[in-house]
Amino acid sequence: MDISFMIEIVPRLLRATWVTLQVSAISLMIGLVFGIVLGVLRVYGNRFIVWCTKGFVIVARGTPAAIQIYAAFFLLPRLGIRLPLFAVGVVALTFNTSGYQVEIVRAALESIDKGQIEAGLAIGLTRWKTMLYITLPQAVKRMMGPMTNEFANLIKASSALMLISLYELTKSGHAIIAATFKYAEVLVLVALFYFVLVQSLCKLSAYLENNVFNFGKTADPRNEFLN
Amino acid sequence: MGLNLEFMLSIIPELLSAMVITLQISILAVLLGIMGGLVVGSFRVIGPKWLKMLIQLLVDYIRGTPQIVHILIIYFALPRIGIILNAYWTGVVALTIIATGYEVEIVRTAIESIDKGQIEAGLAIGLLKRQILIFVLLPQAIRRIIPPLTNELTNIVKASAFLSVIAVNELTKISNKIIYETFYFFEVLILTALIYTVIITLLGMLSNFIEKRMFSTNSEANS
Repeated sequence: MDISFMIEIVPRLLRATWVTLQVSAISLMIGLVFGIVLGVLRVYGNRFIVWCTKGFVIVARGTPAAIQIYAAFFLLPRLGIRLPLFAVGVVALTFNTSGYQVEIVRAALESIDKGQIEAGLAIGLTRWKTMLYITLPQAVKRMMGPMTNEFANLIKASSALMLISLYELTKSGHAIIAATFKYAEVLVLVALFYFVLVQSLCKLSAYLENNVFNFGKTADPRNEFLN
Repeated sequence: MGLNLEFMLSIIPELLSAMVITLQISILAVLLGIMGGLVVGSFRVIGPKWLKMLIQLLVDYIRGTPQIVHILIIYFALPRIGIILNAYWTGVVALTIIATGYEVEIVRTAIESIDKGQIEAGLAIGLLKRQILIFVLLPQAIRRIIPPLTNELTNIVKASAFLSVIAVNELTKISNKIIYETFYFFEVLILTALIYTVIITLLGMLSNFIEKRMFSTNSEANS
């Protein structure tokens, strides 16, 4: 292990981590818009719309991120849309995350007690108003935990953007390896960076669920038994 | 933008044989992973505290870093410690390690979901901790492991796409090769995405089917 070399490449990897975070965060935000709109349609739409959103979810969740990234990379120019590499990455990841977020929104909406909807209808709100003012605000609260998890997944999926040479963390590490052949040093650092990012997001997710949004008792994964 | 249907038909056999390799690698990895998952998951539940913490750290590490990084690490690290495998088996090893990380958690939750009364009953008739694990908990837990295991298989099928990075001739690699030879990207990508979607949808249906069968025929496991 060449420690001084490792220290030397840290700034470069940190800049690459920033790209990883940017591409994941932007995709998450755009995906959130699609996720909420499609998720609401998935629950409240007519049969045709429900069928379409289901199909979208199956394709987005049923194909590997690598294929979606290749598709964005090769197909967008063919459709006449020329984007910089970063934007191509955002498009691919947004497609990927939207599929998962639709399901998060659907699960959150369906988990709201039916009595709430009945109460809304009973006081004379329309179906859409009940959804907008009563179910959706409560569902948003339940979505926060899974959404943080989805952000962690997205950070991991963004590593596949190395396939189209977007210089995020994995690609930068790979480029340094290709130039110096010090793979052990580089890969240890890359894995460490991802580990820290994802672990802090998981901690944040658990904190949000337990302390901010108070979902009953702490869901501590390290709970003991047989002692 | 017309599609070249004749070309699409002509590449189907090549893509299907690549799909077989994808499935082989994924199934091997999940099966090897479940052995690792059962052993490590059992230690995760009844091991001493330091071992539990170590296993949890490893699991967090495997689940917290991207699959592509694992594949690169295995690809570069195995030769360095003197293990020289071809691309196919390197892929199997990498996916097995990824699968094990997730399956440890599957096994742990399955064991922990068994009613505490079972453990107390075991202790009451004088069984040791490990006897309770082997004779009482694991046989009941296995039923609960199988449905999430099919889900894990779909994840691994999707992860196997990253093996194209280390030149394993699986579906993504082959479709990429065809694209660079012919530049019919639209046709190739549509077919590839379709094959993946079909595999994963079928596995999802299998998982639902198994789950229903398992829980309806064994209602006592539900109590």
